Amino acid sequence: MTDHTANLFSIATGSSEPIYRQLVEQVRRLAAAGQLKPGDGMPSVREIASSLALNPMTVSKAYSLLEMDGVLARRRGLGMVVANFAPARPADRVELLRPALERAALEARQLELEPDTVLTLFETILKEAK
Amino acid sequence: MNAPLVQMSSVTKHFGARQVLDRLDWQVAPGQVIGLLGRNGAGKSTLLECMLGLREVDGGTVSMFGEDAAALSDGARARIGYVPQKSDLFDWLTPLQMLEYFEAMYPRWNKGKVEGLLSRWGFDPYKRNSPIKKLSGGEQQRLSIIRALAHDPDLLILDEPVSALDPVGRRDFLRELVDQVIERGTTVVFSTHILSDLERVAFDLAFLKDGRIALQGQLDALLEGARRVVAAPHALPAGRLQGELRRSYEGALTSVIVQADYEQLAQLAGKPGVRIETLSLEDLFIEMTREG
Repeated sequence: MTDHTANLFSIATGSSEPIYRQLVEQVRRLAAAGQLKPGDGMPSVREIASSLALNPMTVSKAYSLLEMDGVLARRRGLGMVVANFAPARPADRVELLRPALERAALEARQLELEPDTVLTLFETILKEAK
Repeated sequence: MNAPLVQMSSVTKHFGARQVLDRLDWQVAPGQVIGLLGRNGAGKSTLLECMLGLREVDGGTVSMFGEDAAALSDGARARIGYVPQKSDLFDWLTPLQMLEYFEAMYPRWNKGKVEGLLSRWGFDPYKRNSPIKKLSGGEQQRLSIIRALAHDPDLLILDEPVSALDPVGRRDFLRELVDQVIERGTTVVFSTHILSDLERVAFDLAFLKDGRIALQGQLDALLEGARRVVAAPHALPAGRLQGELRRSYEGALTSVIVQADYEQLAQLAGKPGVRIETLSLEDLFIEMTREG
């Protein structure tokens, strides 16, 4: 079991996605991919707020949502830990990509690109990163 | 919600023939961290100065901590911290002399905090003993922030507090705000043009336009709900859309900014020739403060 630090997170200002949403999605993705394991300790609200210079209420909001969704759990004396969730099936994991792909799809439509052209490019990008 | 800390009702303010505030209504509740946004010259500084009772209003009322802002008691005054846009007060004194002067006025002066901030924010013995007017703009601004935080205020009002700071100085200031000020439950109202900073620390936003608060709400909700609907006029239903904030015409297309009503958006999204876009804070700022 690992105790994670606020380095886990990176946030982007100037996005149309509010910061609390970015935090929630990052934890979901990391948990789905197994980088966060059940029982792992999460950094405290205070630590994240201070390290990323964020309003603590924003961080609390993200943690509460993740707790409600069963991704994180509050342990007395330990703070937040990663919950004992069933690892996401690939079919659920791919859903996590939807918001990013929807944005890309919008831009592809604005550029009036054919679906095949876009898919080929995406395939190339996926292979490059390996 | 608790009784508001600040209550402005129908506040009007003119400079000569120019009307800056026009029957403005605004409340600030305890514990809120509000970013005040508006174009240059929209009257943000005037609004903050009227709020603090530093300027007489031509009409309406301003109360703070339940008292008339124009005649605040010493007790209420001691609970307020204020960083003006430009502070040239006491600039013939050295930082140490200036802070000593203010220390005598506040019963709750936090010496340890002042010392800690001075050393962390680069005030070495030489700078502490140089006349304030010899310091750089950024150093003067940091000093002004230290003075405003020194008595652990319950209400902190900041007018463009980081305009002269470099990115490192801005981040240091934001950390202090997060670690020490917001953590204590202090109510914060600040104006800034640096939207990335605002996004990090503000929980609520208020837009000042045409002398009034044109839009106020939680930053998250405003960002999540705001959409730009772009379409040929015939593709849109007659009349206003639900939650419509502004409408403009760009060539053959109509552009409507809405606070989203999901059902309506889903209906519109299915129509040919309708484009729906999400907005960043900068987009929202530009749309909400645009003339016309």
